[in-house]
Amino acid sequence: MMVNAVDLTELEKDALTEVVNIGVSRAAASLRKMVGHQVLLSVPAVEIVSREKAATLLGERESNELVAVQQSFSGAFSGRAMLIFPEEHSLALARAVAGDELSNDEIADLEQEALAETGNVILNSCLATMANMLKRPLTMSIPTVCKGSASTLFEARSDKDSRVLFLYINFSIHHRDLRGYIAMTMDMPSLQSLKELLAEFIQQVVGNQE
Amino acid sequence: MAEADSPDALEAPLDDLRERLNISLLAAGVAGSWDWDIRNDRLYFDYRMATLYGLDPAEAERGLPTSAFFKCIYPGDANRLRIAVAGMLNGAELFLKSYRIIAADGLVRWVEAHGRCHFGTDEQPERFSGILVDVTDRRRIEERLRISQTAGGVGTFEHVPGHATAMVSEQFCNLLGLNPAQVLPVATINRLVCNGSPPLLEMGSVSAEELPYAEICVARADSQEQRWLARRGEAARDVEDGGVRHVGVIYDITESKRVEDALRQLNDTLEQRVEREIAERLEIEEALRQAQKMEAVGQLTGGIAHDFNNLLTVILGNVDMARTRLGSSGDERIDRALASAQKGAERASALTQRLLAFSRRQPLAPKQIAVSRLLHGMVELISRSLGETILVKTDTTPDLWMVEVDPNQLENAILNLAVNARDAMGGGGTLSLTAANVECGAPMPSGAAAPRDYLMLSVADSGSGMSEATIEKAFEPFFTTKEVGKGTGLGLSMVYGFVKQSGGDIHISSRVGEGTAVCLYLPRALETQTAQPEADTPGVQRSLDETILVVEDDEDVRQFAVDCLVELGYKVLEATSGPRALSLLKQRPGEVQLLVTDVVMPDLSGRELAEAAHEIEPNLPVLYVSGYPRDVILQDGRVKDGVELLSKPFTQQALAAKVRELLDQIPADDL
Repeated sequence: MMVNAVDLTELEKDALTEVVNIGVSRAAASLRKMVGHQVLLSVPAVEIVSREKAATLLGERESNELVAVQQSFSGAFSGRAMLIFPEEHSLALARAVAGDELSNDEIADLEQEALAETGNVILNSCLATMANMLKRPLTMSIPTVCKGSASTLFEARSDKDSRVLFLYINFSIHHRDLRGYIAMTMDMPSLQSLKELLAEFIQQVVGNQE
Repeated sequence: MAEADSPDALEAPLDDLRERLNISLLAAGVAGSWDWDIRNDRLYFDYRMATLYGLDPAEAERGLPTSAFFKCIYPGDANRLRIAVAGMLNGAELFLKSYRIIAADGLVRWVEAHGRCHFGTDEQPERFSGILVDVTDRRRIEERLRISQTAGGVGTFEHVPGHATAMVSEQFCNLLGLNPAQVLPVATINRLVCNGSPPLLEMGSVSAEELPYAEICVARADSQEQRWLARRGEAARDVEDGGVRHVGVIYDITESKRVEDALRQLNDTLEQRVEREIAERLEIEEALRQAQKMEAVGQLTGGIAHDFNNLLTVILGNVDMARTRLGSSGDERIDRALASAQKGAERASALTQRLLAFSRRQPLAPKQIAVSRLLHGMVELISRSLGETILVKTDTTPDLWMVEVDPNQLENAILNLAVNARDAMGGGGTLSLTAANVECGAPMPSGAAAPRDYLMLSVADSGSGMSEATIEKAFEPFFTTKEVGKGTGLGLSMVYGFVKQSGGDIHISSRVGEGTAVCLYLPRALETQTAQPEADTPGVQRSLDETILVVEDDEDVRQFAVDCLVELGYKVLEATSGPRALSLLKQRPGEVQLLVTDVVMPDLSGRELAEAAHEIEPNLPVLYVSGYPRDVILQDGRVKDGVELLSKPFTQQALAAKVRELLDQIPADDL
């Protein structure tokens, strides 16, 4: 069996999960302020997979069309981050974010903007937290919204060797449970940098408490 | 750490309250609760949690260093928990972890920690509090369930008909080749079901009252391999809206399904296979019957020919002798009548010869021959026989094998076939003579593989052809399609007998209107012998005063032979049977120089007589006279070495020559 040098250890995955958890918690706080409702976000697990595997995982779990908000980032590690929902949840999410008093037509008009804004808050928080925790600066692009199937979302673009950090994210907005995913596509050098930064973080946490 | 023994009476109602809280927490399965003051870096445990950790509850209530949180955590889980807590202290909001602790009583327990972080107005984390639930029993049950699922290859699912997703087990995902998940869309699962099978999970909410047993063919998501799954389960009536919840299992039945299918297929085709076997058997039986018929006809004709030859010997011999006696002085009319009788008898003799050929009883003189040379030598003769309207073509491959057959009989056979071809072609056409090698194992026209190397010689015409019924009977003696008087019906029979006797095979391919090809398969000569030059030693001329013993059970034939020999000047002794001949030899030792005997006789056969005679007179030459030599003296259709044979009917001249030849071979001092 070929062992990929850039695969994360269990502990590194745990650390990454926590870092992202801090990020989505901050995003939840921001969203709470935005919508004035209870918003809870958590990330139970992370997997590091190939682009094909990410498409398979997502395709099996979601049989309908998907909506994704995506942003690219660069810095100590760079790549592309996506917040992905099943399409049937995107209207509900837009309604939750934009407010219940709007009509369906108005919501539909706002859907794109509401999604872009939500995605921006969540992804920004995640990436900013990662940058903070790992003490490295990251810059992020403007979010864009796209629709498609699992395989079109993970279509190869430039770097064929890139890996995907695949995170499951639980949303609870206004007592409505929604499911979504965060996917960060990174090339090998970026993943290697991330791995090193995570190892430092673990050393701090585990070392301090001993 | 001593148990706090508080004398303070005011604590009593508080203890009571605490006790009631503990009971309700215990009832909820809660093993303890904690509260982590992040700003002041202190940790508070409730009474149960303190007891679980083996800490003084009073002290724990007053506050502990935060490191106490990790005190009892199983070492293998400690780092994971430190990282998780670090997340909480730095701004994560929700905490849900499963891990092991080593409790104060020394037992390892599985716990589930449910925690949450509370933020201050400055959005900084303030308190991290939560409860610990003992899930040891649940873990054990889950473990048993997981092991029984993997060991038994059984996957479970729960699904409320009409809902878009279903709860599934890891083994369920494995059976379908899906990545492990706890919740999957129904569409993802049903998408794997092959055409013709019912869906794994019910799509609609109606008509889903029960969960019937089903056998479902699926194409695995990872390998697209087709597998058969069985689904079993129950419908539970405990859903909010009064509907049902399907709880079921799936397991792989591909192997038993395959065996079942194979068995069914075997059953379905049984009749067909029996029919085929019977048809094959009938075909073989038919072939055997045909062969037996030919054999029986052969024996019959052979027997007739034998008796007939005896008669012809007498007639021909006596007519011959009468003509000799009559000489030139006799009545010309008598001589003409005798000549005519002789001609008739000779024709009859030729007929019996052909009958013998068919019955494979004719003595053959096989030689190694090159068929192409033989064919080319015959072309002129054939062309002349067939007339100008028929074109004769020969086609032989260059490196034809040698064959070992009687060349005269082969020529006869080819001529016979050529004449048949001419008659089939009426006005004119083409006669093709071809020869080619057929290797052992190559297909023959009968469909069977050639059992040995053959040289195939084919005589084909462009004539009227034959129907299947005609082909079937073509080899039978006296079967002819020619007008009465035009053919004997023995030509093909003779060819058949000759080829079979030579160890070969024969086949007719023909269709009405499309010509006929007769293929002779002649066995390849095993080794090439160099042709031996004919021994041409001049015989010692002797006086004709030798004594010859003639043994023949047929009165007339014996009389004719004796008369001939006496007339030639020999001394002749005669015997009517083998035993009589032997007693004569014993009575007159050394007197007889040649034994002339019939082959087929009652009591002793000619062969047996010769053997017995050789015990008395070891060097006594023997001449067999026979119209039906059978295998008494024949080996594979050939005359055995050292055996001299005179075929019946014979003439005086033929007998005289053969007798003289034998006597002349005896060395002088043996006389």
